Amino acid sequence: MKRQQPIELFMPPNMLKAKVGGGLGGMDMAAMKRAESAMDGLKSQFGDWIAGDVKALIEARAAYAKSADANTRGALLRRAHDIKGQAPTFDFPLIARVAGSLARMIGELPPTTALPLSLIDAHVNAIQVIHKQNLKDTNDKIAQALCAELDARVDDVVKAATK
Amino acid sequence: MSNYRFDRLKILVVDDNAHMRKLVVTILQAFGVIQIFEAESGDRAWHILRESNPDVILLDWVMEGMSGLDLIQMIRTNPQTPNPFVPVIMLTGHTSLDHVARARDAGVNEFIAKPVSVKTVMSRLVAVIEHPRPYVRTQGYFGPCRRRRGVEEYRGPERRSESPKQQAAE
Repeated sequence: MKRQQPIELFMPPNMLKAKVGGGLGGMDMAAMKRAESAMDGLKSQFGDWIAGDVKALIEARAAYAKSADANTRGALLRRAHDIKGQAPTFDFPLIARVAGSLARMIGELPPTTALPLSLIDAHVNAIQVIHKQNLKDTNDKIAQALCAELDARVDDVVKAATK
Repeated sequence: MSNYRFDRLKILVVDDNAHMRKLVVTILQAFGVIQIFEAESGDRAWHILRESNPDVILLDWVMEGMSGLDLIQMIRTNPQTPNPFVPVIMLTGHTSLDHVARARDAGVNEFIAKPVSVKTVMSRLVAVIEHPRPYVRTQGYFGPCRRRRGVEEYRGPERRSESPKQQAAE
């Protein structure tokens, strides 16, 4: 691919470094230790936080079931994507995996293909069960089998819609 | 050992999820950042940005309405932007190469792939402080140089501008 011309390349003055100093730089270990302690203080709230995200996902699913359009589909994708990104931070890696599978299905199916409600429900139900049972062990055999099954069904649906 | 004066920084955190904002704000406060602005949408962020001119922006990609990518493009190219060079650290659950390339093309300086951790937030802050990227302006792009290294312009032959057949013939 031919380069775009002309190219103007310049280095703005480093105002950040001038502002914060920091000598030779590097990770500020004392600040990190304080932040780890602060994070530990938040951990007791993670269960409630993920519960709020799951509730939002259920509401988005209901809105899509009631009126399947680009808006409700986009909202459902955002909720699934949010949980995929946030659940590991909130110590729920299994929920993240299932939400990731749901987000993949919505993202990879062509916009003209209706989302299969039964498979959406399978994901949402799995997320609810994992949350209610507080499952966090990614080595849990049943959870692994469930995730693999959901992945496989998403593969099938996407393949069928895009072939 | 570093002794950054994080208390001198103004940081804008943009995420439509209140919990993620709280998490990131908690980490930044523990680092010593005092002036933290929060926005739950791209529109609100643009408003705050113009009022407060932050030093660094931590930005979620997927948001209802204006996405993180849309906001970055505004920051880099809108004539009303207070600082087109402001470092933007993107928080994202998207980690595929394709998504990273799209974010780079929009003008992102650094990434934090979720899950968010203290170490990652610190390392990306240090990166924008200690290793700022040069900026590039072309006909179709303005933002941080998308190459990690190689500020110096390549002086060799423009092999990629030739067709594959020409290259094969050489």
